[in-house]
Amino acid sequence: MEPNIVFHIGTFPVYEPVFWTWIIMAILAIGSFLLTRNLRKVPQGAQHFLEVGIEWVESLISVDVGPARKIFVPLILMTALYVGTSNLIGVVPGAYSPTADLSTTLTLSLIIYILGHAASIAKQGFRSWLKGFVDPFPLLLPLNIAGEISEFVSHSFRLYGNIFGGGILLGIIYMMAPYIVPVPLLAWFGIFMGIIQTAVFTLLASVYIQTKLI
Amino acid sequence: MLEIAIIVAAIALGSGIALVAGGLVGIGEGYAAGKAVEAMARQPEMEGQIRTTMLVGQAVSESGAIYALAVVLLLIFTVMQPLVNRLLELL
Repeated sequence: MEPNIVFHIGTFPVYEPVFWTWIIMAILAIGSFLLTRNLRKVPQGAQHFLEVGIEWVESLISVDVGPARKIFVPLILMTALYVGTSNLIGVVPGAYSPTADLSTTLTLSLIIYILGHAASIAKQGFRSWLKGFVDPFPLLLPLNIAGEISEFVSHSFRLYGNIFGGGILLGIIYMMAPYIVPVPLLAWFGIFMGIIQTAVFTLLASVYIQTKLI
Repeated sequence: MLEIAIIVAAIALGSGIALVAGGLVGIGEGYAAGKAVEAMARQPEMEGQIRTTMLVGQAVSESGAIYALAVVLLLIFTVMQPLVNRLLELL
């Protein structure tokens, strides 16, 4: 299951997920720069779509995270953009979705998990945060710890399993029928499932941050 | 030789049985989707919130199937593949 090495920088190997993550970073950076180059007070052209999209994500997240927690909007918006782009880039022949690698998804879910706990400590104080682990009574400490671990593990495994499983199924179909037949399956697993899993990952990220702030 | 063949057969059988989890999760998620349609038909103005809640619930209950998939992938790609290679060498 180890991804291929694309090239070496000195003796340091660059694996496929890292390489395609760089390409996605370039796409997102150049796209953001071109789209926000000359913003106007009165929107014009592509700015209409940008404002509608950002307001939609803001309303989605402020319902979940609460209006006073707008600080999380850029993080969650960027997570959505990165996960969405890397899911959809798998449709391009020869490209490799970075989200089909467990390291990428585990990194993303750990960022959100640690940030949620940091926000929880900042909100209620360290002592009260520690008390949350022995919540109803101290006997439940192992269960609480298992629940905390399974949270980010399931969050990362969900995205990885869906994208990687879809990729394997498509590979088998390519071996059996390389022309025309894979097109509807590519649309289903590549585009539809990619968008649904992006929405699910983003929604769960905002829900996980929200539950730690209650 | 025979021992390796038995292990490979057991892994293949176990991977197949593990995917029963997918069917069970399918029942649960279909039930959730049906209930969401009922709720939307009763209160069409709540459609957006119902769809969000349905998707989050389905995603959480899907973890069972995803764990089964991860176990099957690990079994096939990290345990079974080297055994099959050794079996082919012995043949």
